Amino acid sequence: MSDIILREEFGDVAILHIASTSVDAISAAAIAAECQEMRPVTVLDFSEVSFINSAGISALLKFVVTARKSGFKLFAINVSPHHQKIFKMVEMVRFMPIIEADDLAAYR
Amino acid sequence: MERVELNIPSNPIFERVVRASAAEVGSAIGFSEERVEDLKLAISEAVNNAIDHGNRREAGKLVAVVFEIDGEKLEIRISDQGSGIERFDPSRRVVDEQSLESGHLRGFGMYLISELVDHLEVSTSHRGTVLTLRLYRREEP
Repeated sequence: MSDIILREEFGDVAILHIASTSVDAISAAAIAAECQEMRPVTVLDFSEVSFINSAGISALLKFVVTARKSGFKLFAINVSPHHQKIFKMVEMVRFMPIIEADDLAAYR
Repeated sequence: MERVELNIPSNPIFERVVRASAAEVGSAIGFSEERVEDLKLAISEAVNNAIDHGNRREAGKLVAVVFEIDGEKLEIRISDQGSGIERFDPSRRVVDEQSLESGHLRGFGMYLISELVDHLEVSTSHRGTVLTLRLYRREEP
């Protein structure tokens, strides 16, 4: 586990709070490494993230690949309007839907 | 015309320096917050390309970034000291099942740049590659 991701788990759910403000070439490897520890429902929390570039998108896609191979569900929460735009441009939202944090209440 | 010039080593950590400078320049000339975010992402992609594909992270090779502000126009030139690129592909690149299955998880950079700036030019030769990005200040809807 790295300091870049703070984990919160309950039942089959893991919320991975990304603690780095930049999801970029520098932080990508440490973030992607966490895809080895996914749960049946995994949620990436972007509340602290102010910047994502294509190196970061590649790291996030490792979670998508792992989720698809394992039959897990993957969601994103607290995504800024700018990053929602970028995720739509590359069609990331097809594979990692953006949900409201309140939607997790049903799992708690 | 006002001009800001940076030269960074071919180490990805210094891309963050350029990005921070871009944010300051964009804000200084009155870009909206969303336009500044577009600018930061486009420059980040261009600088990372110069570091990785142009200079191949070779120590001693620099990436030069020049910001030129001319009224409503911001032009940025990103130059590397590599041996040129064979292929430049700004075509639409999205996540799809095929790329996920094959593990092809990269290659979004040029597409993002082309979508986020108003004008993009690429000039390449055996002496290096120069990307010229142009953005105009515009009213938000």
